[in-house]
Amino acid sequence: MNLLQQVINGLVMGHAYALVAIGWTLLLGVARLVNFGHGQMYMLGAFVTWWAFAKAGMPYWMAVPAAMLTGALLGLLMQRIMLKATFEQNLVSIMIMTLGFGYVLHGVAALVFGSTGQVLDTPWSQIDFEYGALWLTAQDVAIIVAAIIVFIGLSWLLNATRYGRLVRMVAEDPKLSQLAGINVRRIYFGVFAFEGAAVAFAAGMVAPRTPILTSMGFDEVIMTFVVVVLGGIGSVRGSYIAGVGLGIFTSLFAALVAPAYTTAAAFVLLIAVLVLRPKGLGIGSGGGAH
Amino acid sequence: MTENQSPIINQPVLQAEGLQVRYAGNLAVDIESLTVQRGEVVGVVGANGAGKSSLVNGLAGWSRGSAQVTGVVSLGGLAVQAWPTHERVRAGLLLVPEGRLIFSQLSVHDNLATAFDVTNGPERRVYSRDDVYDLFPRLKARRQHLGSQLSGGERQMLGIGRALMMGPRLLMLDEPSIGLAPMLVSQVLQTMRTLASSGLSILLIEQNVRAALEVVDRLVLLERGRIVLQGDAAEMENNPRIAQAYLGAHGS
Repeated sequence: MNLLQQVINGLVMGHAYALVAIGWTLLLGVARLVNFGHGQMYMLGAFVTWWAFAKAGMPYWMAVPAAMLTGALLGLLMQRIMLKATFEQNLVSIMIMTLGFGYVLHGVAALVFGSTGQVLDTPWSQIDFEYGALWLTAQDVAIIVAAIIVFIGLSWLLNATRYGRLVRMVAEDPKLSQLAGINVRRIYFGVFAFEGAAVAFAAGMVAPRTPILTSMGFDEVIMTFVVVVLGGIGSVRGSYIAGVGLGIFTSLFAALVAPAYTTAAAFVLLIAVLVLRPKGLGIGSGGGAH
Repeated sequence: MTENQSPIINQPVLQAEGLQVRYAGNLAVDIESLTVQRGEVVGVVGANGAGKSSLVNGLAGWSRGSAQVTGVVSLGGLAVQAWPTHERVRAGLLLVPEGRLIFSQLSVHDNLATAFDVTNGPERRVYSRDDVYDLFPRLKARRQHLGSQLSGGERQMLGIGRALMMGPRLLMLDEPSIGLAPMLVSQVLQTMRTLASSGLSILLIEQNVRAALEVVDRLVLLERGRIVLQGDAAEMENNPRIAQAYLGAHGS
């Protein structure tokens, strides 16, 4: 029975990984950008949710959108600063700038929120479901449901709407997109705002599972990196599969081998997949934002 | 910009004055004046590296590298040189570039869709997807195929079809016949004639002077980025300089 509980934990973790990674998936698929400040943006999303909920007295369902708005504005600001490097596709500059941005966020958050841990005690984390030895909270269920809705929603947006088609066009060829009358700059801004809002949403949903600290973020950015690469760069469906798979893998690995080495094991898995399937696990996606 | 939106009648559809295009300081295009009248088909010919592509890219404000463009470009009397590419496109200055001219990961059907709304009118004929399929039945047969699965000729048709759906005031085609089999070249030229007779203004970049002479009203010869000769098609065909250097005639 313990094993089944681990699989359930893995499913929750996996959907959490996928949800945290979704912004990066689109960012990499469309704008060919990376954001190593992703983890700190997750941290900030968690703290803004906590502050709005525990300090400002907002209900939880309003605190999460408040964090998403903060995240989106932050994304727009980052993109504004990096616009030139984005158009030049200068990945090294972008990597360093986003990494630096993450540390600035960390510093600012430590000043504003202090360096003591906090607990985001949402109403949903207090509702338990128990079936014999199996156990999960309403928050866990909400994570799974939210991840599925976000992934289906994003797939629909990309494949069935005009805006999605524009995004796919920019993903494939930004220069040719200009000749199609697309304001490429606006698409880049939109994608970065989505990245900021999506990671804040993920934080608002996932962070209640563990105590939050302003120093966190490293594990999140690393796991996101693993999910995005495993899933096949920019593949939405691939990221979902990779996230859930990684969650079950790390959960079982922690239970059966040793919890201390799960991140290392995730990297071994990543390297193995890169050697065996260099394009990731995404099925039939040619690198575009499918 | 709205106060200038309706172009003045009898204005040339395109007028470029003092147009210079530089790459890393090197002058690639240096043109005093180039005009395309409404309904006119103007061909630009010249050897490789004469600056033909740089010219149309400069007019569109577009390049894959980093070009520096100066001078005045007006579209139907409206100065557009300060506009970003996508706004020139929305105003009807359309370029079908050489090489990668379609989205290879989208289907033919999805390639034939516009990113913006444009109203059909006497100034701008906006083709529907079905109009494009009527013009190129071949594309209709392959509408579910990905762009990457098309042949060179089909890509060219799709590139032109995409541009027609955006309601061109001026259609600029960069070497539409390059790399095509002779039969396809004549097919592309035939299409161009059909479009020209429908009143569309076209600026055609072409390396094959003989082919260009079949469709253009006026021909411009470019050498080292400068216009060295221009005139009516008939007059240019008999010009000894053109005949000798580009039509392979000897000693006439």
